[in-house]
Amino acid sequence: MNMVMDSRSLAASQPGAVSLREDQLRLGLWMFLATVTMLFAAFVSAYIVRRSGTDWRQVQLPAMLWVNTLILAVSSVALEAASRSGFRLRWRQAELAMGAALAGGLGFLAGQFVAWREMMAAGIYLPTSPHASFFFVITGAHALHVVAALAVLTWGAVATRSGATDVPAWAARMELCRTFWHYLGAVWLVLFALVSLY
Amino acid sequence: MFLSRLLPKGMPSGVMTPEFYLAVVTMHGTIMVFFFISYVLVSGFGNYLVPLQVGARDMAFPFLNMLSYWIALLSAVVMVLSFFVEGGAAAAGWTAYPPLSAVASAVPGSQMGQTLWILSMALFIASFTMSGLNIVATVFSTRAPGLSMMRLPLTVWSFFIASILGLLAFPPLTAGAVMLLFDRHFGTSFFLPSGLVVAGKLLPNTGGSPLLWQHLFWFLGHPEVYVLILPALGIAFDILPAFTRKPVFGYRISVWCLVAVGCLSMIVWGHHMFVSGMSPFTGEYFSLVTLTITVPMTIFGVNMLASLWGAKLELRTPMLFALSVIAMFGSGGFGGLFLGNATADMQLHDTYFVVGHFHMMIGGVTLLATFAAIYFWFPKMFGRTMNETLGRLHFWFTFGPFFVIFFMQHFLGLQGAPRRYYAFTAFDYLRDTRGQNLAISIAALLLVSGQLLFLVNFVWSLFGGLAAKANPWQATTLEWTTASPPPHGNFETQPVVERWAYEYGVQTTDGDFAVQTVPARNVPVTA
Repeated sequence: MNMVMDSRSLAASQPGAVSLREDQLRLGLWMFLATVTMLFAAFVSAYIVRRSGTDWRQVQLPAMLWVNTLILAVSSVALEAASRSGFRLRWRQAELAMGAALAGGLGFLAGQFVAWREMMAAGIYLPTSPHASFFFVITGAHALHVVAALAVLTWGAVATRSGATDVPAWAARMELCRTFWHYLGAVWLVLFALVSLY
Repeated sequence: MFLSRLLPKGMPSGVMTPEFYLAVVTMHGTIMVFFFISYVLVSGFGNYLVPLQVGARDMAFPFLNMLSYWIALLSAVVMVLSFFVEGGAAAAGWTAYPPLSAVASAVPGSQMGQTLWILSMALFIASFTMSGLNIVATVFSTRAPGLSMMRLPLTVWSFFIASILGLLAFPPLTAGAVMLLFDRHFGTSFFLPSGLVVAGKLLPNTGGSPLLWQHLFWFLGHPEVYVLILPALGIAFDILPAFTRKPVFGYRISVWCLVAVGCLSMIVWGHHMFVSGMSPFTGEYFSLVTLTITVPMTIFGVNMLASLWGAKLELRTPMLFALSVIAMFGSGGFGGLFLGNATADMQLHDTYFVVGHFHMMIGGVTLLATFAAIYFWFPKMFGRTMNETLGRLHFWFTFGPFFVIFFMQHFLGLQGAPRRYYAFTAFDYLRDTRGQNLAISIAALLLVSGQLLFLVNFVWSLFGGLAAKANPWQATTLEWTTASPPPHGNFETQPVVERWAYEYGVQTTDGDFAVQTVPARNVPVTA
């Protein structure tokens, strides 16, 4: 039987070579983030265009959004802490910090839900004003991406539980988690600034 | 009649209703652009050729690839199913401009059919970005040792650039589709203006901007036409040297032309909207950047012509189709000069001139390149050869009528015939065009019946064609170094690349060419 040698096993067979798989995943994630950037860029530019309409009325946004922003920031810090603890081989600490990061993500989603409910309780619905329409659509789209990122974070948390057995694999996963999670945090800051300031 | 049974509302007693005509025009555009050309060239041939030509075992992300395939199938099924829902398929054109696409009571096709259209498009974009991401990752990370980017065949370059365009230009339409869906079903006014009266009723919407949709749509729509045409040009460019037996002309500059076209294609979308009341200064800008695209595109076209210079052409079927790509690209591109210029476009907008132009470019160029690709890689795909006589006959029945139809439509447009009209019987000034329309219809029937030759040839060759060798065309790229059809995993051993993809006209033991894996010590490397 012929030995089938693909580029992947070739890379793996070279000593010291970073696993090709991780390079590919990193590349794939960055390309994915480029598409997400274009998606939100479209929402932002549509917002700016639509804002010049004569019927634009700013609605009162709930104060809860500040709390959610804080929760998301803390979650990002926890993720960094998890990564640092792991590199110092303090796995127990890393697991706890990963748990905190995940909880923060879930907390953010719950907080966004509370904010939506508060707005609806105040009589602000999707069609109330173009500002409200954009608020619900844009925050909804962001929340969906947070759900996807939470799945990736869970994957990172699983790796952290057994991180000691394969540190390079763990580190590679953590890098993907950190990139995705901090990216969505940054997107949130931009969107929050947009809907509250402009 | 079969048609009146299948579509009792659209074709009662076998004659198409005006509403159904609009739905058919819409679905023709949508299916051809997204579900035929995009899928066949980028997703289909891209998936097949990229791993083979970069010397990889498979795409970088096989699971994502499978996911992309099933979502693509689902989106196509949803799109076709929309013919059979209440009100029939979407009828707002493949561009789905609101308010027609945003108000369910506008026309029958604005009902469920339009909702399914939007859902199907969202699925299409998801599938296509997955496949684009995969192609880019494959080109970046799985190239065989020695295969630098500047040694890639132009086919791979064209898939690569088309995929990047898809990744960046398609997501904004997802945003647009979400907003359109919300306008349709949840009472928002993203795209619906104030004071809109539909079917005698004043709509409650205020202040929305239908033009906003046009911007979002064409931000996808224009790069999309390059997603379609670049792979066609890349394929034709690569097929030429196998039948001229000499290196291509200007490989590097052609690569940079593709890159330049890719970049420019992202900033020219407004030329589809010259008559939307945009500021003349904006129109001037879009005209300028649009006409700038002609520079790299012309260089590319001239490079293809120069590749033929001084060669003894072997007019086999793939070569005939590749040559016709150049002809169609040159003729169709000429019409683009008129349309890219805002002043001329205002006269020609929404006439058959536009129909003729884009059918030559993203219809003809891509169709002819698709056939070139099928005839050229059929031996690799199935290990059998297609019949040459039937192939040549099929070529003449395709290129001839196709050129006649859309060349003549340019002149219909110059006479003022508007596109997307159900009938022209009410217009005196178009009475003289009846003869031309008749000629066009006859050519269209010839074109369709000519495709039977292809079907027969394809099916017959699949089972009864002559067995193909590993490299029947004596071509130089990596896929010809493996068996026909390639084994699971594509290559028996990892190929190692020593040279560029166009080493023709050299003396080797195999003949007048050297495949990319021939070591430099055996045959000198020319590029």
